[in-house]
Amino acid sequence: MTNDGEKMKKALCAVISLLSVLTILVFWYMISWKNPELMPTPVETLKQMFEMIVNPTGVSLFEHVAASFTRVFIAYFSATLAGVLIGVAFGWSEIFRDFVHPIFELLRPIPPIAWIPIIVIWFGIGEVSKIAIVFIGAFVPIVVNTYSGMMQMDPIYEKAGKVIGANRKEMLLEIVIPASFPHILAGMKTALSQSWACVIAAEMIVAQKGLGYLIVRSMESGNMGNILISIFFISGISALLSYLFNKLEAIICPW
Amino acid sequence: MSEKAKVSAVGLTKKFDDLLVLDNISFDIAKGEFVCIVGPTGCGKTTFLNILSKIWPATSGELLIDGEKADPKKHNIAFAFQESSAFPWLTVEQNIRFGMEQKNLPKEIINERTEQMLELLELKEARNYFPRQISASMESRVVIGRSFALHPDLLLMDEPYAQLDIEFRYHLEDAVLKLSKMTGSTVIFVTHNIEEAVYLAERCIVLTNKPTTVKTIEKIDLPYPRDICSKEFTDIRDRITDYIKWW
Ligand SMILES: Nc1ncnc2c1ncn2[C@@H]1O[C@H](COP(=O)(O)OP(=O)(O)OP(=O)(O)O)[C@@H](O)[C@H]1O
Ligand SMILES: [Mg+2]
Repeated sequence: MTNDGEKMKKALCAVISLLSVLTILVFWYMISWKNPELMPTPVETLKQMFEMIVNPTGVSLFEHVAASFTRVFIAYFSATLAGVLIGVAFGWSEIFRDFVHPIFELLRPIPPIAWIPIIVIWFGIGEVSKIAIVFIGAFVPIVVNTYSGMMQMDPIYEKAGKVIGANRKEMLLEIVIPASFPHILAGMKTALSQSWACVIAAEMIVAQKGLGYLIVRSMESGNMGNILISIFFISGISALLSYLFNKLEAIICPW
Repeated sequence: MSEKAKVSAVGLTKKFDDLLVLDNISFDIAKGEFVCIVGPTGCGKTTFLNILSKIWPATSGELLIDGEKADPKKHNIAFAFQESSAFPWLTVEQNIRFGMEQKNLPKEIINERTEQMLELLELKEARNYFPRQISASMESRVVIGRSFALHPDLLLMDEPYAQLDIEFRYHLEDAVLKLSKMTGSTVIFVTHNIEEAVYLAERCIVLTNKPTTVKTIEKIDLPYPRDICSKEFTDIRDRITDYIKWW
């Protein structure tokens, strides 16, 4: 009975979600049909997308996606590594915290994109610059979450470790880090969407390849179809990444 | 007596700033003895256990185990806290193994004791669950299992059943008695519930209000398992209740 009710509810939810997508498509169709100068129709856009994939002029759509993706990949993983290490050091060593925290708090509110001018002057307009910007965007939430996860740990676990006779190293590796792991993952999740946003922004300013670059070029050439395609890909990939992340989280952090 | 004592508290005193909580508390406990501590709410029972377990330093006084200063790295002390302290990132089985693995016990012993605890505390079916997937009563049992599996020299229990329903309490009390006999551990068990104390303890330490001292130590010389309806039982229970009611 309740099971049937659950099923009904699920089916209803699916229908409503489908309706919402349909509504957008209908509106899009109406607007583009009435004002073709504003945007191409959904079907035309789709055609254009196939064209870009199968028969590209110059850099193909997949090359753009791959370029953005590679940057995110490199920057995100190095930021995770560095961010968790620094975050743990923050949470663990009072001396380190007292020394670095003021600097960190000073730099933290600066939006990653505001670093672009400095980074371009220092590193030029090559790959390093874009990776550096994405790195900054991903690094900050990971440090903050790791650190606050350690601070928020229920002191009962520390007591339990102390009574068992754990030394400082065991306390850190076997109690404090596992206890903060959900927070660390939450930071990594925020960082992942930040990275994706940052790579687009960076590419809009300094790049010859990538989805951000594609958007800007399309804007300059007034190609609305390409702009829409880029936007779909940006949001689609972002959704895909967070979906994959959630799946991964359920595997590595099942509690 | 004092050469034979397993655990001795010598003039334990604890102040939080100006608040004197524990005032010069001394007693001896023999090896394998089961001692309950009762006292009014907020009198410092948890504080007392925190000092015995060396989580907090005492303001003055000493805790001796086998005549030496107590040290968690050397002595085998276990603590079942008032709050649930099962590690949420470990499964039921891993939680029970945790302490033994920390102490680097041989693998066979760890396996054997883990199975024994899972069996005795009826956790076998839940062995691969995480704490958030099980009930509060099961979680308490996990912590009890983790503590007893160490066969500790000294086991401190701070109202470990506060969250449990009555029916299960009696069941667990019997399990705890059995475990304490089996492991030969010296147990200090804190409770609000005088009936529970009289059911469990060989001796019952009654504490006063703050600043807390030992009001009296009551020997409970009844055979196990105890009949909570018998005259002797209710007499002792009422006597201890009177001690606590006196102020
Ligand atoms: N960390 C602390 N700092 C200052 N005062 C404290 C601290 N911990 C406990 N106290 C005080 O010490 C007294 C005893 O507290 P404790 O928790 O040991 O009592 P308890 O007997 O365990 O109470 P309960 O029956 O509620 O478990 C209380 O008055 C409390 O306010
Ligand atoms: Mg308490």
